[in-house]
Amino acid sequence: MSGFFRRIYEYLLSLFWLTEMDITMIGLQNAGKTSLLRVLAGGEFTIDSIPTVGFNMKRVQKGHVTLKCWDLGGQPRFRSMWERYCRGVNAIVFIVDSADTESLPIAQEELHNLLQKPILDGIPLLVLGNKSDLPDKIGVDDLIEAMNLKDITNREVSCYAISAKEETNLDAVLNWLIARAKK
Amino acid sequence: MSYSKKDEDADQAIFKVDRTSVFQEARLFNTSPISPRKCRILLTKITYLLHTGERFPTSEATSLFFGITKLFQHRDASLRQMVYLVIKELADTAEDVIMVTSSVMKDVAGGGRGAGEQEVYRANAIRALCRIIDGTTVQAIERLLKTAIVDKNPSVSSAALVSAYHLLPTARDVVRRWANETQEAALSGSKSGGFSLGFGSSAASVPQGSGMTQYHAIGLLYQMRSHDRMALVKMVQQFANGTVKNPAAVIMLVRLAAKIADEDPSLRKPMYALLEGWLRHKAEMVNFEAAKAICELRDVTDAEVAPAINVLQLYLTSPRAVAKFTAIRILHNFASIRPSAVNVCNMDIETLLNNSNRSIATFAITTLLKTGNETSVDRLIGKISGLMADITDEFKITIVEAIRTLCLKFPSKQAAMLTFLSGVLRDEGGYEFKKTVVESMFDLIKFVPESREEALAHLCEFIEDCEFTKLAVRILHLLGTEGPKTTQPTKYIRYIYNRVVLENAVVRAAAVTALAKFGVASKEGEKVDPEVKKSVVVLLTRCLDDPDDEVRDRAALNLRLIQQEDGEEVAERFIKNESSFSLPIFEHQLVMYVTGDASTFSQPFDLSSIPIVTRAEADAEDRSFKLRSTTMPTLKAPTSGAPRPSAGPSAAAEAVTSAAAASAKYIQQLAAVPELKPYGPVLKSSREVELTESETEYVVVAVKHIFKEHIVLQFNVKNTLTDTVLEDVSMITTPSDPEGGGVGLEEDFIIPAPKLGNDEEGTIYVAFKRTGEESNYATATFTNVLKFTSKEIDPSTGEPEDQGFEDEYQVEDLELTGGDYVVPNFTGSFGNVWEQVGAAGEEVTETFSLGTGVKGIQEACELLSQTLSLQALEGSDVAVSTSTHNLKLFGKTISGGRVVAEVKMAYSSKTGVALKITVRAEEEGVAALIVGSVA
Ligand SMILES: Nc1nc2c(ncn2[C@@H]2O[C@H](COP(=O)(O)OP(=O)(O)O)[C@@H](O)[C@H]2O)c(=O)[nH]1
Ligand SMILES: [Mg+2]
Repeated sequence: MSGFFRRIYEYLLSLFWLTEMDITMIGLQNAGKTSLLRVLAGGEFTIDSIPTVGFNMKRVQKGHVTLKCWDLGGQPRFRSMWERYCRGVNAIVFIVDSADTESLPIAQEELHNLLQKPILDGIPLLVLGNKSDLPDKIGVDDLIEAMNLKDITNREVSCYAISAKEETNLDAVLNWLIARAKK
Repeated sequence: MSYSKKDEDADQAIFKVDRTSVFQEARLFNTSPISPRKCRILLTKITYLLHTGERFPTSEATSLFFGITKLFQHRDASLRQMVYLVIKELADTAEDVIMVTSSVMKDVAGGGRGAGEQEVYRANAIRALCRIIDGTTVQAIERLLKTAIVDKNPSVSSAALVSAYHLLPTARDVVRRWANETQEAALSGSKSGGFSLGFGSSAASVPQGSGMTQYHAIGLLYQMRSHDRMALVKMVQQFANGTVKNPAAVIMLVRLAAKIADEDPSLRKPMYALLEGWLRHKAEMVNFEAAKAICELRDVTDAEVAPAINVLQLYLTSPRAVAKFTAIRILHNFASIRPSAVNVCNMDIETLLNNSNRSIATFAITTLLKTGNETSVDRLIGKISGLMADITDEFKITIVEAIRTLCLKFPSKQAAMLTFLSGVLRDEGGYEFKKTVVESMFDLIKFVPESREEALAHLCEFIEDCEFTKLAVRILHLLGTEGPKTTQPTKYIRYIYNRVVLENAVVRAAAVTALAKFGVASKEGEKVDPEVKKSVVVLLTRCLDDPDDEVRDRAALNLRLIQQEDGEEVAERFIKNESSFSLPIFEHQLVMYVTGDASTFSQPFDLSSIPIVTRAEADAEDRSFKLRSTTMPTLKAPTSGAPRPSAGPSAAAEAVTSAAAASAKYIQQLAAVPELKPYGPVLKSSREVELTESETEYVVVAVKHIFKEHIVLQFNVKNTLTDTVLEDVSMITTPSDPEGGGVGLEEDFIIPAPKLGNDEEGTIYVAFKRTGEESNYATATFTNVLKFTSKEIDPSTGEPEDQGFEDEYQVEDLELTGGDYVVPNFTGSFGNVWEQVGAAGEEVTETFSLGTGVKGIQEACELLSQTLSLQALEGSDVAVSTSTHNLKLFGKTISGGRVVAEVKMAYSSKTGVALKITVRAEEEGVAALIVGSVA
């Protein structure tokens, strides 16, 4: 198909049928953001994932909805740039390693820091406790507690326990996200 | 807003792009869904701005950059290419560019969804990647780049190689680990001819299919190994066997081979063999590069250069102008160094004289001017005059410069050249061109006395209508110094006074000064013609009414000096001043004075410490410099590798200059030794003589300083032992006459060096008084024994032990010869001086054989002018024939007696150089002394 016709085709699709959503995935390094996105996009789970330098962008197709997912690096040097990629998105996904309780306080602090930014007001937040397959993980309720999610009042907040490795609960994640598509 | 309207905007926009509106528009990058077409146009505008020199402030650049990162959501290949181009440009100004690293790496790796499309922009991604990465993150992309280097797509491989090249300075160790891959790329590139078949016709049109990867790979390998000569040699030899096909890559090898040959004499032979082979390479540019490299080899022999000249000669008749041009340009450069070797091409070069391409014709002429003999000069000058009208000033200058050298080389041809120069002086032309012509005439006047009157006449005519004030002033100055010496000084006075009437203040002032010089005696001991003096006074008096104060001041001062009763001497000193300070030394002393500490500054600057040079000395230096500088082509071709000292011939011409520079170097050093004060000023310092091999424990270098009645030997001693300290280092120097007679030298004192640590250099002075009467030019052979106390260093404390032991160390003998009392000097006419000195002084003739150690006439010329310490005249420092030659030499002894020498040489490969030397000298005994220093 030539470029011109394809553009028309895509334009028509977008009018009547396709919906695109912007999703930003953040969280400390090693939480499993990149792994989760790879699995959501239909890829294989890999054990030795290399740290993300900057960001990593992938499209996830679910029915007639395209999720444009921006997976951001979790190292301290990148955290200041999260906000740039959260502006105007349909939802923010914050991922924590639920088996790494030591890092939870920092995760909690970084999340609340970010949400204080007025420009991000009202954007729905999904907190995911990843690696639920590991023995020393903590449960959803403990996570809500540790992350102080009750304090967040100016937006929709949900919290799930998932496993990117075992692909546990991923459907719920997708459904939650798609439900946030603007009409 | 209709769509058609938008298109119009887009098309015109490129012509009226400004930074602010582009920055406003950048919101486009954040819209959803993205329009690749609109984004591409906006990105084009940004690149356009950046390429026209616009700079976005850091904050704007950063926010543009982050906007652009959003475009990674779209997979449109041409959009992605634009994204990379802009990221590359913004990488230096925007902050946090590291942010795109992971995304770029994904593109570089390839193989994802839409791998076909990705192939298009992988190379762009690699090039952007190396710009955003910093030293600390290189490791993260190492594996990726390593794989990319050996990618089968040549554009990807090239991009990776070039990126590695750029990363080398920041991450040398990482990049050097990619040598194997690079090596593979250099070799596999040659197969890409086969590849293009696989891709079908489309790939054949991709330029990278030409094996350019090889060029990039070899360039990178060179950078990686540049510190390891043996590795470089291996590389050249490995790739020279035909595995590397790309001509650009081969050229790199040519340059490398030339560089290696230059740096390591032991490798010259194998490297030359390679260069010679490349003369037959099927790519023209490789032939040229190889020929050029051979011509530029240090001291290239006739046999070595012959095949290169041969190849260039063939290209002279090529139907393609560019090939002709390249060939003649290389020959032109080489003709400056070795005209005799280019001779063989003269017939073919002749045919180029009428070439419609002016650049080719110009080089043809200037080459012939260099290779031709005296007889061809007239004919060539005729040719040139026809050509001059159609060429640019730049080429005119090339030609005039060739003529200028010729004047110095063949003084007997001055008439024809002068006619030519005066002719072009009347032509149209800019300042630089006119300046070159005028300076050439200055040279003629200075160095070819026969031409003086006529050249001055031409210059007089020129200033009658000269639009360049600077040139008029210089010519007036020259008229002032040369005019009074001519037979008819009044002729020039008229021309000069005309300037006072007609010109601007600057020229008028110069004219007044020039005028005044006619009012004093032209030669020492002579009286100025009272008539001339009277008219000068009249004219100067008129200048007292000049509207400009500088002109009035000069007129008043000069009048006063000229009219002074019994003031001849004062007038002489002020108005005519033939000598000047040695400017390089003057400058150096002044710099030392102003940058020195406060104590030196509290005393007034001592002008008497600056040596005065006479005009003759300054001219000699000037001339040798000019002859030398002509070996540098005016229109410089890029040289292969680093610039190097120009080949052979200039070395002899350098004698005067280097002698002056050598003395200058020591004057200060000697002035710091109070014991030497009573000896007076140093009259001559020899060049450095090594008395040991350079790798011995103690390295000794000697310099002979000649004073009026004394000789001072300076020994520079270096201690290379790491574990020993030398104390009280002294030299036991015993002179003996080689002929067994009395030596005529009496030791005066020794100044030892107190202490020499590891790698420290110290100086010992041994002073002798020359006891002989009359000429007092003692010659001798000195045996030298170094005497010192040696103390070992205690490794635990790093301090020398208390107890040392005395030791001695004999170094090589040092010769004091007649040449040591002679300073090279210049004179305009060898013939005149030869006759004059012959009539007044002594003559000694002797024949010698230099043996086979001296490898030809040229080397003999250099050797002789160096050991005899005489200046080669009339261009005889350059041997035209390789079998016979006549070397003409001139100099003065330290007391001013003239020394002339003529050396007839013949060379045969069996017996080496045989020579017959005839020396004439004004002072008694000097001729024999000089001849003696050859033995
Ligand atoms: N056991 C387990 N390991 C996981 C899971 N998700 C990710 N990992 C591992 O956690 C590490 C970090 O994952 P990565 O996706 O790079 O984290 P990111 O820094 O947040 O992008 C990798 O070694 C993954 O294999 C999971 O659900 N279960
Ligand atoms: Mg990651």
